Amino acid sequence: MSDYLVSEKTLAGFFTALATGRRLLAPQGQGDDCRLAETTGPVSLDYANTHLSPKGVFFPQTEKILAFHKLADKPKANQYQDLGDQAQPTVIFGLRPCDARGLTVSNRVFQNDRFTDPYWKGKYESAIKIGLACLNPSPQCFCAAMGGSPFGEMGLDVLAYPKDQGLGLKALTPAGEEILKKAQAEPADLAADMAALEKKAIQSQGSLDDYATINERKIMELYKADHWAKTAEPCLGCGVCTFFCPTCHCFDIQDEQNEVGGVRMRNWDTCMSPLFTLHGSGHNPRPSKVERVRQRFMHKLKYIPLKQDGVRGCTGCGRCVVMCPANIDIRSVAAVMAQASA
Amino acid sequence: MISVNNPYLPYPVRIADIVVDSPDKSLRTFKFEFLDPEDETRFEYLPGQFAELSVPGQGEIPIGIASSPTEKGYVLFTVNRVGQVSSYLHNMRVGDVMGVRGPLGHPYPVRDLKGRNIVVIASGFAVTTLRATVAWLLHPDNRPNYGRITFVYGARSPGHLLFREDWEAWQKRDDIDVYVAIYKMVPGWTGKVGFVPAVLQEICPPAENTAAIICGPPIAIKTTQPVLFEAGYKPDNIIMSLENRMKCGLGICGRCNVGPEYVCKDGPVFTLAQLNELPPEY
Repeated sequence: MSDYLVSEKTLAGFFTALATGRRLLAPQGQGDDCRLAETTGPVSLDYANTHLSPKGVFFPQTEKILAFHKLADKPKANQYQDLGDQAQPTVIFGLRPCDARGLTVSNRVFQNDRFTDPYWKGKYESAIKIGLACLNPSPQCFCAAMGGSPFGEMGLDVLAYPKDQGLGLKALTPAGEEILKKAQAEPADLAADMAALEKKAIQSQGSLDDYATINERKIMELYKADHWAKTAEPCLGCGVCTFFCPTCHCFDIQDEQNEVGGVRMRNWDTCMSPLFTLHGSGHNPRPSKVERVRQRFMHKLKYIPLKQDGVRGCTGCGRCVVMCPANIDIRSVAAVMAQASA
Repeated sequence: MISVNNPYLPYPVRIADIVVDSPDKSLRTFKFEFLDPEDETRFEYLPGQFAELSVPGQGEIPIGIASSPTEKGYVLFTVNRVGQVSSYLHNMRVGDVMGVRGPLGHPYPVRDLKGRNIVVIASGFAVTTLRATVAWLLHPDNRPNYGRITFVYGARSPGHLLFREDWEAWQKRDDIDVYVAIYKMVPGWTGKVGFVPAVLQEICPPAENTAAIICGPPIAIKTTQPVLFEAGYKPDNIIMSLENRMKCGLGICGRCNVGPEYVCKDGPVFTLAQLNELPPEY
């Protein structure tokens, strides 16, 4: 794999080339309006991160997956048919490394040791993912504390960074290399430049706790610790943390129908809702917000690392910290988990 | 196995028979036949696995498979009427078309238990997958591979005992010990009386080289364990099946987890030794 440069002069043409023959998604707008949207350029490089995580590109908030009809005089009445993955050739430019890493966490859930989710797979694997490294991580960011980096490469085909009003680019996969060559980026050697910028960006996140003791503690030791009631106390159960989180992948499946037929769809769901786990009998294994809040943090910081070779379910994007109406901060919770005794 | 291309896509089935199982009509056993006979071959399963019953326009419910793969041509599911899908299903008729998606989960580890004695302990309508297990164990292909087999089954009243024809036939065999109990005496009952743990205490087979398979409501599972401990059973040899609210059945939608394990994908069968290391969120 090689490094490449795109100068200020050739930048517009570079994005046009990316958008040729496929759709180009890139961050558009600023602040709360910043979101991934289709474009052919120009692309702004001046944004902290998209308001929502990019998971919706591969896992839409609501998605029709199956359909059926009820017309008894026609073949296959009341038999579900697959609606397909709805994937289209896509290149995403400007994924932040935290989000790209988060998508790999979800990818290992949607394509787990036993089953493959075709709706996720079709969209995720066909997309070329070009990341944009963070030269100046925003105050909400703590990727390095969670094992990532402002220059993290996980889950990306190309890692780009702003350089001299243009772009420096590092190809990370054959697909990434190919698209850069086709877009006529110029070969370069950026290793030293990137290493220096990465060091500076990590240092800007301040002194970092690595929460390593969470990995060493047993599940039940963390689970039984006495801080959970206090940790959960401010939670309103609104679920905003789960909708903004790049690794939250839970969904509900519902049927909708009219007189002649219907669809089966899936919609984002949240473990912060009591309905999420409520049995038909009325029994609820996570009956109060204490169990539900504990579930969310145990899932991000203990269960996912156990199943994914130490990679945490929190990538330090900071969205939940900013959005939580009760100011629950996953960094504080992780610190308490790392220290608490049963 | 479940459809490889799309594990969300149910196999189309026709309701071939419906049996009302309890006096209050809250339980019905559905017999399904696959519309495409090849789907029956694809739906290769073992006792203890479950499937999503898929009712068009209503949704899906995860239900244990009550038939044994040694019984060909159909699959059986006993459904308790509790929510939207199960209530609608209870009103469907023989001949109606719907879907079955599975098999899902892991079976009871019957293949790993070869050469051992097995005691099967069922409470209430959780008997379904255990009925499948005993039917499988007693099949001539399988029976010689196991030692002593004991079946303990209890329900509220004689009317609440499912699969009567099966266990009455088993009672006549000499290669299985069958103990069927009701919780409170009624006139005409000649079997045992008492809750399952009490019956088990009376007849519990020795723990040596024996595995216990338990399924029932949480209270029955909880009160049965001390009886097994007292008889010398180790947590490794106590095998249980859990249930939690589910949607996908594939370990993806996120709601049925017990710690890092998903009841749908990694269970529903766990040993007590495994569960002792996990949060009791079931």
